[in-house]
Amino acid sequence: MYDIIHQLDDKREKARLGGGQKRIDAQHKKGKLTARERIELLLDPGSFEEWDMFVEHRCTDFGMAEDKIPGDGVVIGYGTINGRMVFVFSQDFTVLGGSLSETHAEKICKVMDHAIKVGVPVIGLNDSGGARIQEGVASLGGYADVFQRNVLASGVVPQISLIMGPCAGGAVYSPAMTDFIFMVKDSSYMFVTGPEVVRTVTHEEVTAEELGGAVTHNTKSGVADLAFENDVDALLMLRRFFNYLPLNNREKPPVRPTQDPADRLDMSLDTLVPDSPNKAYDMKELIIKIVDDCDFFELQPDYAKNILIGFARIEGHTIGIVANQPMVLAGCLDIKSSLKAARFVRFCDAFNIPVITFVDVPGFMPGTSQEYGGIIKHGSKLLYAYAECTVPKVTVITRKAYGGAYDVMSSKHLRGDVNFAWPSAEIAVMGPKGAVEIIFREEKSDPAKLADREAEYKAKFANPFVAGARGFIDDVIQPRETRKRIARSLAMLKNKKLENPWRKHGNIPL
Amino acid sequence: MFKKILIANRGEIACRVIKTARKMGIKTVAVFSEADRDAMHVEMADEAVCIGPPPSKESYLMIDKIIAACKETGAEAVHPGYGFLSENAGFCERLENAGIVFIGPKAHSIKAMGDKIASKKLAMAAHVTTIPGYTDVIDTAEQAVEIAAGIGYPVMIKASAGGGGKGLRVAFNDKETFEGFTSCKNEARNSFGDDRVFIEKYVEEPRHIEIQVLGDSRGNTLYLWERECSLQRRHQKVIEEAPSPFLDEATRKAMGEQAVALAKAVNYESAGTVEFVVGKDRSFYFLEMNTRLQVEHPVTELITGLDLVEQMIRVAAGEKLTFTQSDLQLNGWAMECRINAEDPFRNFLPSIGRLVKFAPPAEVPGQVRVDTGVYEGGEISMYYDSMIAKLIVHAASREQAIARMRDALNKFVIRGVSSNIAFQSALMRNQRFVNGNFNTGLIAEEYPKGFNAEDVIHDDPAILIVVGAAIHRRYLERNASISGQLPGHEYVPGDDFVVLLGGVQHPVKATPVSGGFKVAYAGEIHEIRSPWQFGQPLYEGTINGESFCMQVERRGLRYRLFHCGTQVDLMVLTAQAAALQALMPHKAPPDLSKFLLSPMPGLLTQIAVAPGQEVKAGEILAKIEAMKMENVLKAEQDCVVDKLLAKPGESLAVDQAIIEFR
Repeated sequence: MYDIIHQLDDKREKARLGGGQKRIDAQHKKGKLTARERIELLLDPGSFEEWDMFVEHRCTDFGMAEDKIPGDGVVIGYGTINGRMVFVFSQDFTVLGGSLSETHAEKICKVMDHAIKVGVPVIGLNDSGGARIQEGVASLGGYADVFQRNVLASGVVPQISLIMGPCAGGAVYSPAMTDFIFMVKDSSYMFVTGPEVVRTVTHEEVTAEELGGAVTHNTKSGVADLAFENDVDALLMLRRFFNYLPLNNREKPPVRPTQDPADRLDMSLDTLVPDSPNKAYDMKELIIKIVDDCDFFELQPDYAKNILIGFARIEGHTIGIVANQPMVLAGCLDIKSSLKAARFVRFCDAFNIPVITFVDVPGFMPGTSQEYGGIIKHGSKLLYAYAECTVPKVTVITRKAYGGAYDVMSSKHLRGDVNFAWPSAEIAVMGPKGAVEIIFREEKSDPAKLADREAEYKAKFANPFVAGARGFIDDVIQPRETRKRIARSLAMLKNKKLENPWRKHGNIPL
Repeated sequence: MFKKILIANRGEIACRVIKTARKMGIKTVAVFSEADRDAMHVEMADEAVCIGPPPSKESYLMIDKIIAACKETGAEAVHPGYGFLSENAGFCERLENAGIVFIGPKAHSIKAMGDKIASKKLAMAAHVTTIPGYTDVIDTAEQAVEIAAGIGYPVMIKASAGGGGKGLRVAFNDKETFEGFTSCKNEARNSFGDDRVFIEKYVEEPRHIEIQVLGDSRGNTLYLWERECSLQRRHQKVIEEAPSPFLDEATRKAMGEQAVALAKAVNYESAGTVEFVVGKDRSFYFLEMNTRLQVEHPVTELITGLDLVEQMIRVAAGEKLTFTQSDLQLNGWAMECRINAEDPFRNFLPSIGRLVKFAPPAEVPGQVRVDTGVYEGGEISMYYDSMIAKLIVHAASREQAIARMRDALNKFVIRGVSSNIAFQSALMRNQRFVNGNFNTGLIAEEYPKGFNAEDVIHDDPAILIVVGAAIHRRYLERNASISGQLPGHEYVPGDDFVVLLGGVQHPVKATPVSGGFKVAYAGEIHEIRSPWQFGQPLYEGTINGESFCMQVERRGLRYRLFHCGTQVDLMVLTAQAAALQALMPHKAPPDLSKFLLSPMPGLLTQIAVAPGQEVKAGEILAKIEAMKMENVLKAEQDCVVDKLLAKPGESLAVDQAIIEFR
């Protein structure tokens, strides 16, 4: 019997080595960890249960029958992050470049099927050269099987992709359909077609890093949500990120008790909004000062910076935050920021995370590039997301809430549960200057008269009380008590129940 | 006594005067510029009057508006603070004509001391020791050389109207005198519109020691001992203390008596300061008299127990001093650090913006005093002085005062704008300063290349390591408290860690004990107890029973600790993670010398160059508008523009790259 036992040990030992020590060393040399090392860092020590260690591919063409490595280039299983369950697959670049074979795909599908069944998130650690070309269409079929499960899991369990190496061609579409994509700087890239194809087709000279590196996708394309310096940073920060998420769409997000008093006042917020309406201020300061322990986990910090999104906690409960950032483009809404926020709001809605919205928005960005780019459709995505959203919604207007952008930003009219305004709020169709130029068009030639009109308009409409008189604003609050008022509102909304009419699915303006 | 006084100043000194007035039952009127609408002194005063736009020339220096404000509010007297109109004899006279009392010396005293040459003559007449020199107007460079040789080198060439280091040259030989005289004269003409220049003996290893005097209208004049103000950076005082570690009793008395003699010679009323330069042989020479309350007056207040502002108000109201020289007792040691909104690591560039966090150490009577005029959430504007607070400590001995100051600096939290706290902390650890063996050249000699982070080496890095481990362990405990864990498989933090500091792995063991952690490091046990809560910048507590305080900021996976001027980023990992971390590539930080970085947040208004363009040092590269001010960025060396990384109209963050060079 001992022989058989030892045989198992030996087999495991061999499987653990993946593509062998030489390839492991090569992987390390590139500054990358191996698939198993990554899992060790990501999960609680000793919590990983590996499955399918002995799976081998079935390909016999091109001499592949002799090139079999147990596990076939992906490590799968489950474990815990701070005691909470998670399914993981981690592609092993040391095995045939982490290429995706039919069996490799089957393994990924296995964890995804289980994840959906038991209601546990899936984290994918991507590091793969692409399809196993030797397998041809079988490999392609494998991709599609994974895609299908990504879609079925979408909105059921959180899916997170961490891109830690190459991810090119069709392979990109699996992470693309997960909820969050994190990338490692300098060692990961994602693109549909690589630099060489780009050169022959469009004659553009571009490196892999420029075309699809972590910086590109975190600043230019908005494909990724965060970029990290290296594997260790990425995996340990992913642990922190995981703490905010519920395990599935039927559960509430986890609670982490806090000592931070819910009624903590911050006097310095009273002076956050500057006297001049044209002067910017940092909305992030407000967020950091009102959330538990000053912890704000920002997503997409370098993309569409005119809007801020991220997770935090109030009284220990996870909240999603969306906030206009007056520091960038005056906080206006444009195509990129609408998309960024819309996708985030939908995630929160799918996973029972209350949405807190801080509004200081002068309107939508004007211009041909915006109109030609389809701001009408893209802007409406954010509107749609907020309107469809049934989780608790608390909104605080700090300064400007002008025009259609006011409606969009979680207004009362879109079933905002509690809508607050600071005394500095200006809720109006547009800014005073623009408004009087239209209303009093005939007085345009008389600047003195126009200035009077502007002052008149300002006194009348550039305040929160007109909206307050109609009940569009539930209360005008002192900036210093923002945390307390949000905490009270969320406590009140804890058992909120709201359902949209039955339908197969809505038709969000894609 | 007055019923209501007006304070013709702003910032900490206005607040400080208001405090005393309030204590005396006197109502106060603040004046403010449009930039100071929400300032602390406006908030503190009983009444406040806006006197004009932000530039001080159009507000705080407007005599008419201040007099009108007095009339409007019925203020009977004006305290000028320091700076602005405090030594303006014209202001004094105008007030007098308007029937308003100036809380300070009489106009004739100000006038007599206002001119360097005239005051020196006066001092000589009063038998006050003055620096050997030539006080008459010198016409030609040839004459200057002759005079300098007569005095004996080294000599100092000074503009009569100069101050703050402007219009000042040191010459060690005839040639330098010849050149120095000419350039000094030009500078004086351009800067002050007065090209009178004089020459005097240059005192080597000079210390700046000044005597506080106080006189009343009945001819009583006292000296309140000295203040040592030798710690200066570019002739700006940085740290002041009282008494001076350098003076002996005899010198102290002699200087005090000479200061009183001078004050009496000009019938000095109110508080004033007689500045001396003291050579390494304790020979002392009169420099000038400041006819106002000094910034550093609190150190004198702490060692004498007097409230100088109260005395000034009483004297101005015609009261007689209620004590004599022999009643005064010198009690303990006091020290003051000027806390400036400036970045010591960027050549002390003034820092402006919002005070996102501002929490000075708690005031403790007889131990720690904080004079400030700003508050958390307030705005530091570009229009005024960068000094935002004065941190003053009092203790029985100099050694204890230094220890107390170190502790107080550790507790001073400022975020949003940069401050010189790290620099002050470094000075508090400087051996020459601690030994009292310094002169006005200390800062220039110790930091010849400016102040750099490498200049602050922590003398006990173990404390940083163990506190880092304790903080991390608390975060792990917090993680372990999360709901929704798999029953029976909950997360349990381990005890063994590796602290990564400066590329070195330090193994530690951190185990919880009641109210804290026991951290074993390098064979020693450190028991750390702290009531610290997550998110708080101040980590206060005890290590093995001894109290300590540092500041902490969690930045991603790293903890940034600030302690005694040192700033470190450390990472705490499990042994396994540390082994994997060691495999991570070292990414050299980008070579920033190849970039033009925005020195401040602002709007990029113009880029004056194009890619491929050759640029000579001094040429304009870009313009940034910040706080309504245009800032011109010039090439520091010859270079070729490679790429433009920002577009005009873009708002820039501090340190954002604008141009890349080849």
